[in-house]
Amino acid sequence: MSQQIPLTWFLYFAAASFAIGLMGVLMRRNAIGVLMAIEIMLNAANINFIAFWRYGDVPQGEGPLTGVMMALFVITIAAAEVAVGVGLILLCYRRWRVADVDEFDTLSG
Amino acid sequence: MIQALFIALSAFGLLMALGTVFARNLVNAALFLVAFFFVVACQFVLLEAEFMAAIQVLIYIGAVAVLLMFGIMLTRNIQGDETTIVSRQWRLLGIGVAGSVLIVLFLGINGFKPWTDLGIRPEFPVTAETTTERGQAIIAMTPTVGREMMTRYVVPFELAGLLLTAALVGAVVLAQYDNTDEKTASAEPPQVS
Repeated sequence: MSQQIPLTWFLYFAAASFAIGLMGVLMRRNAIGVLMAIEIMLNAANINFIAFWRYGDVPQGEGPLTGVMMALFVITIAAAEVAVGVGLILLCYRRWRVADVDEFDTLSG
Repeated sequence: MIQALFIALSAFGLLMALGTVFARNLVNAALFLVAFFFVVACQFVLLEAEFMAAIQVLIYIGAVAVLLMFGIMLTRNIQGDETTIVSRQWRLLGIGVAGSVLIVLFLGINGFKPWTDLGIRPEFPVTAETTTERGQAIIAMTPTVGREMMTRYVVPFELAGLLLTAALVGAVVLAQYDNTDEKTASAEPPQVS
């Protein structure tokens, strides 16, 4: 049914999402906003993994699900990262009453 | 038909991603992010990885987005949402860098022949009994994922479990309410607790 979509279209979508996420990381001041932009970038990488797994050949002796397993572990790490990141941001907010990344300048001398 | 669906879906997803980045109100940005996650789940369905779509909805929309929403609610600034975007020259810099990366990625994808040639994905017979290992994995992904997790990827699986436990404990320890924070915030010397 869906054979007509070329691989490059998925890659273009992932590349555009990655660029938008990078823009968010560079532009947002709020730390939670930066975390959300990082999630966009991780999702772009996951689309690439699944697309290459579906369109390409699986290497011999590596099992039938290489890209899917990689994407699953990426999702796991991303969940752990968000939990720790939100905990850190809460800690910083409680200590300095701000959640903006350019206000955390205690170490900058 | 399916191509038009893909284009409409992708345009919607990119709009939602832009909304996540540019929305002044952070709660609105989180809702845009939920829509973007859902579009990514739809892309997984278009790639015939329905199991990944379910995982995407469960983990990203169900857990990560809710966690981010709690983070936003607990760190609302008193002065409002006016400071969530940086000043003009930093905004121009961010757009410039992201645009350059986008152009480089597009040129790279466009010029690499092994990828542009992959217009048609490999076919697998749909019947359950006369198919290869890979076709079986696409038709019935969930049992295959479980089997692979327990055999080939058992060490990464256990390591991921360890990492999740450590992250859970670490997040609880970090976010635990502690009165010494208030004391150190008011310019007193930090005390070891």
